[in-house]
Amino acid sequence: MNKPIYFSIIAVSLIIGLLLSFQFRSSGGNAGGIATERYQELTIEKLKVETDITQLEEEISDLTVKIEAARRGRTEAAGAIERELDKIKLYAGLIPVTGPGVDIVMKNIEASQFGAGFYSVRDEDLLKVINDLRGAGAEAISINDQRILATSEVRQAGNHINVNLVRLSPPYNIKAIGNPGRLKSSLEIKGGLVEFLAANGVTVEVQQSEQVPVPAYSGIPRFDYAKHVQRG
Amino acid sequence: MWLGLWLGVFGLAVGVVVGLNIPVMLPQAYAKFLSIAALAALDSVFGGIRAAMEDNFDNAIFISGLFSNALLAAGLAYAGDRLGIDLYLAAVVAFGVRLFQNLAIIRRYLLKKSKKGNSH
Repeated sequence: MNKPIYFSIIAVSLIIGLLLSFQFRSSGGNAGGIATERYQELTIEKLKVETDITQLEEEISDLTVKIEAARRGRTEAAGAIERELDKIKLYAGLIPVTGPGVDIVMKNIEASQFGAGFYSVRDEDLLKVINDLRGAGAEAISINDQRILATSEVRQAGNHINVNLVRLSPPYNIKAIGNPGRLKSSLEIKGGLVEFLAANGVTVEVQQSEQVPVPAYSGIPRFDYAKHVQRG
Repeated sequence: MWLGLWLGVFGLAVGVVVGLNIPVMLPQAYAKFLSIAALAALDSVFGGIRAAMEDNFDNAIFISGLFSNALLAAGLAYAGDRLGIDLYLAAVVAFGVRLFQNLAIIRRYLLKKSKKGNSH
């Protein structure tokens, strides 16, 4: 035997060794390698599942954003409703308020000079005062701590005057919030109420103030007959 | 003869070690062709051993047969794969049959030889 034969034997066995080991490695090496078709199937399935996962993740983030927005919207709505409620309570006179305005005290004439009850403040005097104050832009009015609401009555009841079904007696203390100068001048105008009442012996003191506290309506507003009409 | 055998075992061991440690990884799709090529190469080796036993071993025939068989088998498997026919089965059957035939002849020669050796 000559040298080329040994050479070829080495070369061939080397190639076969390489082929076998390659084959061993590429078929997994580990026990239970899977068939090519199954492998492709699984690869396709895996890709599908992965795209599903990414889609679902996108959906999650989308929904999270929506939830966040909804939550924010809800708190915003709640805040808006609360502010609206506060505003409506303010309009209705259900909360105490304070601000610049006037403080009016109306006293009956002294009884000693002309006998008792020569002229006393009547309900219509108070109504006129309230009317004048409202005309001058008063935003909140109270008489002897009874808040004047849209439904408040001012009515003579003997020697007393009923406001909000509460019996008031002189002196009457009217508080009104608004532009102090305008409120005062609307009452003290020439030929106005103060002049008229003073001529009848009723002392009216109008005092401007930067802080006039007007209390809230103490009763419960009742609507037994009026029902609201659905809008829209 | 024994030197050739040892050289063959040595070459096989080196090839296995290199093949296992080489960083290149063959794609799964080519595994089928490679297996057919390996089968063809094995067939050629057994054919070579048989020829050596019959004392008509030709180096050129051996080498050319090895490569042509391997390439033809792999090419056949590839063509079958393209055409949608399992042509590699033909190669598997053909080389498998020849492998067993060669193995049988080698066995007989070895048995004959050992009988001669025993009778000596």
